[in-house]
Amino acid sequence: MTNSLPLIPRFAERFIQRLANKRQPPATHQIEINRHHLYILPTRHGVLFFLVLLLVLFGAINYENSLGFMLAFLLGSLALLGMIYTHQNLNKLSVHIGRAEPVFVGQDMLFPITLSQSTEQLRPAIQLLSTSAQVSHAHLINNTNTTSQLACTALHRGYSTPGQIKLFTEFPFGLFHAWSWLNLDSRCLVYPAPYPHHLPHFKTDEEASGSTANVKQGIDDFSGIRAYQDGDLPNHMAWKAIAKTGKLQTKLFSSETSQDIWISWAQLDPTLDIEHRLSLLCRMVLETSKHSRNFGLDIPSTKIAPSHGLQHKQQCLKALALFGL
Amino acid sequence: MKLAINNTAFQNLSQHPVFWLVLSLSLVITPHLSRFPIWSIILISLLFIWRLLCIKRPHWLPPKWLLLIIIIFSGTGLFLHFGTLFGKTAGSVLLSILLAVKLHESQSRRDYMLLISLSFFIIVTNFLFSQSIPTVIFMLCITVVLLMSMITINQNNAAIDHVTKLRLSVKMLFQALPLMLIMFVLFPRISGPLWKLPEEDNSALSGLSDTMSPGNISNLIKSSSVAFRVQFENEIPPQQQLYWRGLVLWYFDGQTWERGKKNTTPNPTLLTSETKIGYTITLQAHQKKWLYALDMPVDIPNDIVYTRNFVLRSQHNITSLYQYHLTSSLDYKIQSDISPWEKSAGLKIPPQSNLQTVLKGQQLAQRFSQAEDIVDHVLKTFNREEFHYTLKPPLTPGFDPVDQFLFQTKRGFCEHYASSFTLLMRAAGIPARVVLGYQGGTINPLTRVLTVRQSEAHAWSEVWLQNRGWVRIDPTAAIAPQRIEQSLDAALDINESRPLHIQLSSSALKDILFYWDAIDNRWNQWIIGYDTEKQKQLLSKLLNQRIHFSDIVLLLVTGFSAALIITLLFIFQPWKRPKLDPVIEAYDAFCKKLSSRGIIRDSYEGPFDFSHRAIKALPEQESSIRLITRLYSKLRYEASHSEKQLTQLKQLIKEFKPGRTPEG
Repeated sequence: MTNSLPLIPRFAERFIQRLANKRQPPATHQIEINRHHLYILPTRHGVLFFLVLLLVLFGAINYENSLGFMLAFLLGSLALLGMIYTHQNLNKLSVHIGRAEPVFVGQDMLFPITLSQSTEQLRPAIQLLSTSAQVSHAHLINNTNTTSQLACTALHRGYSTPGQIKLFTEFPFGLFHAWSWLNLDSRCLVYPAPYPHHLPHFKTDEEASGSTANVKQGIDDFSGIRAYQDGDLPNHMAWKAIAKTGKLQTKLFSSETSQDIWISWAQLDPTLDIEHRLSLLCRMVLETSKHSRNFGLDIPSTKIAPSHGLQHKQQCLKALALFGL
Repeated sequence: MKLAINNTAFQNLSQHPVFWLVLSLSLVITPHLSRFPIWSIILISLLFIWRLLCIKRPHWLPPKWLLLIIIIFSGTGLFLHFGTLFGKTAGSVLLSILLAVKLHESQSRRDYMLLISLSFFIIVTNFLFSQSIPTVIFMLCITVVLLMSMITINQNNAAIDHVTKLRLSVKMLFQALPLMLIMFVLFPRISGPLWKLPEEDNSALSGLSDTMSPGNISNLIKSSSVAFRVQFENEIPPQQQLYWRGLVLWYFDGQTWERGKKNTTPNPTLLTSETKIGYTITLQAHQKKWLYALDMPVDIPNDIVYTRNFVLRSQHNITSLYQYHLTSSLDYKIQSDISPWEKSAGLKIPPQSNLQTVLKGQQLAQRFSQAEDIVDHVLKTFNREEFHYTLKPPLTPGFDPVDQFLFQTKRGFCEHYASSFTLLMRAAGIPARVVLGYQGGTINPLTRVLTVRQSEAHAWSEVWLQNRGWVRIDPTAAIAPQRIEQSLDAALDINESRPLHIQLSSSALKDILFYWDAIDNRWNQWIIGYDTEKQKQLLSKLLNQRIHFSDIVLLLVTGFSAALIITLLFIFQPWKRPKLDPVIEAYDAFCKKLSSRGIIRDSYEGPFDFSHRAIKALPEQESSIRLITRLYSKLRYEASHSEKQLTQLKQLIKEFKPGRTPEG
């Protein structure tokens, strides 16, 4: 369904938005929508409906047709009630925002948004509009809460907020557009976008750093056992050792014991700009961690010791995300 | 997430907006069908079925050029059928076809909403033809379906079942009705049309036509629809005196009686007795100019034309319910002598037709010297010879219907008797004319209102007698006196009785019909006939003072605001505490306990922000505040939770004492 805006010019909507911003409460996890920041205007369908109503009324006057009058007034009253129902579809609705999982720049941050109410009022067809113009739907039918994901494209690395969310509805008749702007307090960690192309100089760097071991070869050469860490591959589990000791153990292969890889800022061409370099580093982190190899990250102001596993990867990506911020 | 449910719901045909649009449009068009040409009904039905099939097969949707061809062909067809595209009927057929075609172009919410809005317009066009109570009930039902369609269009794939939609629509309709009534009563009525009404096309309204030929009236008799209602000021005159004159027919071509040229008699003078009968007639729209009056009307309102034939004419066609007040006198005499125009027109005999009848008339003129004797003789012949009064007379084809009736079949209806009697009189040298109108009526014992139906249509004669002027002679009264004294059904043979809905046999049915008639009359008077005059009359009565336009506007504003406030109170019921979710109720109790220690939660504050503040103020309570908050948010914001957790939360909050350390 297309997202129809109320029948007002853009600049007027922006003007209302500025006024609305002045009366917004401070951003929190949760907001209850009330009439102080709930706005309503007719939609283009509403205006069309009104024109048909006028046509009916003038016809009734002209033909002195009593039932024509009756229908015109009935439609007018229904439209008026429709306005109240549309307003009530959002009024006294609690909106709660949760945390979004980290994403890369260019991906959609998915904020879980929970709409809840104290009664079991029918509130279907509620729509959420994010700053990146993505719409998600929510319906409260026979329940007191519902959760939907608000997608919002991540534009910059670092911590990103959902920005100003527009919550709107046109239920039941589509004649009125009721909406509220919400400043919800939540943030999402955004990693730099990984460099989209193959990394030829990364390989050469790896070779230059002295590691001649090829990944495939490395996995084949068994070299010992150590305690299990998050992120270890299940097919590297030392099942015999686990059976003996009762503790999780992982087999180590020659490649992992071989010299640690350092992914460092200094390796990169100094003429590249910072974001480009972060993007390359991000790609390197992802590539390297794919092969369960120990790697360290060395960027100005942060140095992360070589390790491997999911947590390590996330730590490195976070360091890249927050670099210089 | 409800995604899975939404998908199945959308696959379900009955949740698709197009299904609802087709349903709405068919319902909206239904009351019009009797007026539509057959081919247009077939075309519209096919378009509807086609569109329904396209819901699952979008590639079946017709191309634009095909739709254009359909529109052009049906437009041409309609023009050939009706001779216009803008009459009431032709216009409504055209609009219906256009909407059915537009349905094939509609794929977005915008198109759907346009179709729904225009559907309301089609409902109105039906009101130009019928404004009865069933029409209004049907309108309300259609409105509910249209509202359900609007909900379906705007539900954004929400899984709302039909019962919920129906309940919401009906609820809103009932909430809108009081507002509508206030507007209906108080909205200032402007009299007179805003623009010129288009010429009428051949609308199939029943009623007398301005010609009379064999079979005309006996067809009309089958209709039980109301012609007009009469409210008498005093006593209702006896049944046999209730002759409602409408038209006078002068010209006869051997087959058909017509009005002929304009009667140019200089002002005739009417001599009447002292007793006069006042009454008000509420005439149903019959799209013609003539009005009915009790034989003979005396006092006529200024805006009605009183013709030389003593019949009334309105200046405009009667297109909506029309009310007028008259005074009549049952005893009358026309004083002046017959004018040359009337003498020549009243003696004109069509040449070369009905020769037998003409010969018989000439013989009568030789046999009797007095005109009165001739009249008497003919009426006695009708009475004594083998003449029958029947609704189903044998056909009288050929050029001499009067001859065939008088000398062969001898079976006929009032039109046969009036026609042959008048012709006989003319042949005998007595000026005579045919009068069309109604005879009798049914008195509703509940309201004392006389209802005259199409089935009471009647034709009689008037002859000019020296010193008496035009005298009413009803030959039907001679052959079937029951028709005049009682009712039509009394005059017919048992095996010829008319359909049940006209013939009132059982007394229970009679009572029901009288009640219905009383309601129908009120409806006509107060709803359909509610105009500028009625509005002024009603409001003056209510406020006990003279009403001006500004008063009506003021009343409208205050009345509507008051009704709106009452409706809103009814919707919100602020005196009623809403039934809260038990989770919220428990948490509210927790907040209340904390507020006793001065920690008050702001309306915008989330539970975790609040708990941080509470812990800062009551550090010794940290563990229980944390536990309660965690449990609360889990119950409230996670889809699955158990009853056990709820009892746990309630227990924790019950034991929570902000004053001292809790146990455990």
